[in-house]
Amino acid sequence: MTTERGPPCLHISDASLAKPRRPGLLLRFARQWQIQAMALCGILFVLVFNYAPMFGIVIAFKKADYSVNLMRSLTEAPWVGFDYFKEFIADYQFRDILLNTVGLNLLQLLINFPAPILFAILISEVAHKRFKKIVQSISYFPHFISWIVFGGIVINMLSVETGVVVSALLKLGILSEPVAYLGEPGAFWPLIILTSLIKGLGWGSIIYLAAITSIDPTLYEAATIDGAGRFRRIWHITLPSISGTIIVFFLLSVSNLLNSSFDQLWVFQTPLNLERSEVIDTFVYKIGITQMRYSYTTAVGLFKSVVALVLLVAGHLVSKKVAGRGIF
Amino acid sequence: MASKRPDGFTICNYAFLAVFCLITIYPIYFVLIGSFNDGNDYMRGGIYFFPREFSLANYSVVLRDDRLYTGFYVSILRTVVGTATSVFFTAMVSYAMSRRNLIGRAPYYWIHLFTLFFGGGLIPYFLVLKNLHLINSFWVYIIPTLFSVFNMIIFNAFFREIPEEIHESATVDGAGDFRIFLSLFIPLSAPVLATVALWNAVGHWNSFFDAMIFTTKQDLMPLQLFLMKMIREADVISNSQYVPPQVQKKISVQTIRMAAIMISTVPILLVYPFLQRFFVTGFMVGSLKG
Repeated sequence: MTTERGPPCLHISDASLAKPRRPGLLLRFARQWQIQAMALCGILFVLVFNYAPMFGIVIAFKKADYSVNLMRSLTEAPWVGFDYFKEFIADYQFRDILLNTVGLNLLQLLINFPAPILFAILISEVAHKRFKKIVQSISYFPHFISWIVFGGIVINMLSVETGVVVSALLKLGILSEPVAYLGEPGAFWPLIILTSLIKGLGWGSIIYLAAITSIDPTLYEAATIDGAGRFRRIWHITLPSISGTIIVFFLLSVSNLLNSSFDQLWVFQTPLNLERSEVIDTFVYKIGITQMRYSYTTAVGLFKSVVALVLLVAGHLVSKKVAGRGIF
Repeated sequence: MASKRPDGFTICNYAFLAVFCLITIYPIYFVLIGSFNDGNDYMRGGIYFFPREFSLANYSVVLRDDRLYTGFYVSILRTVVGTATSVFFTAMVSYAMSRRNLIGRAPYYWIHLFTLFFGGGLIPYFLVLKNLHLINSFWVYIIPTLFSVFNMIIFNAFFREIPEEIHESATVDGAGDFRIFLSLFIPLSAPVLATVALWNAVGHWNSFFDAMIFTTKQDLMPLQLFLMKMIREADVISNSQYVPPQVQKKISVQTIRMAAIMISTVPILLVYPFLQRFFVTGFMVGSLKG
């Protein structure tokens, strides 16, 4: 397997010598049947649960709403072209839904992605070991309770009559009259961002904290001797050292773009705040599963995937132009 | 360093972290005291630090609801079975995918990777599950989560670090790959298996979306869906349940919800001290660096 080019005659003899030693593809495949069987289990799984649904997208272009036997309508239902896409764009909720889906996701990327990095840096700056452990144990905890439980707790806290938040804000003079936050469309986005922060900040910081603790401490000592203050040490040593981890997790959150956190939205969504709380995922569930409009909502789902892809490519191009490196 | 007076940054940092911890803990405490308060009295408001009229009526109502026990049963079962099968299955596929001599390794890898970026969406997925007769079956909690590409990537990174000599010497001794995976790789990768198992278990325990969409039967309702119905749909007391009049005077929708929230959180509070040692000490994180 040398890459150097020898004299031509030597090259030929080399190849003819190597040939009989290497068994045929079929034989090699048969010999490794055990790992092939294991690997193909995984392939079979994604074919059934990931690729088969992709073929189901066909029903977005067929008239299969309310259909009882969907398998049958997959092949027999009449084609309707892009009718369902047009219907969605003409829907009176379309503008709100699109704005909420894109807006909430971009805000999460902008605020809830960098926040755990900052939090990890803050924790790593704590010298008191016991305090550090307590902060870690407490801030990781909300990750382990579900959005339903966490949301139920927040709803209780926000209650106008019995909750603590409204009465505290009234006492402090921040509010002049009671506000039912869950019925207030304008309060929905801040509510989502804040609750995501409280629930996810600690847990999200774990991986960055690990990256920070594995930084060579002599780097900091040398920088201190050279007269670098705390913020310059963070900026010039900590951040560059964990940039690899940051990029990996940025990629992961970008690949999840527009996949709203359904659980969270579902808990806080009320008929009164729909204007700012309805996103594509909740819309698809309501109209698709409960009202059986299968074709229409498949089209809406596909619309979401396409928008996500467009945003991804746009982000890639912008970052390539501005920062000199793309997302991929 | 030790004798230095704390500077402004340190003071602000400690203060911020302390306040953040209070904001995290207080809501749980708030629900705890509410759940132990008389329901009617609670509705007058103003209970922020201690219960005003202590009462166990809320708990007595929740604990008499059959759906709670079904919920616990389904949730525990799906968490245990789902986590064990998913970790095993994903690790098995990852083992094969990490073997360098695997024919077709690159195309297999791309087939997996593509699914991270594109999918069919909810409705087509629902149709596939329907055709597999998984709708309204307990297995809908287990089979579709058997494999995760993301976890496979994590396992792969770990398996690649295991020295090739271990595999070679086992092959010389006549062990097949399945045997090597079972009796060598699984014990060697205990830390990463435990980490992924923890993620899986948390996901299983907390999920309600799949139950809400793929099941309609009450005896398949996991705990979180039961709570969801209580909190979002005001479906607080089950229809078949008899609540004696003297208890009825002492309950309210809100305090019953609080009691249900507390009951469902108790199992997590019980295991958390053990888990917490597991990731604060860096055992978990160390396993991911590989």
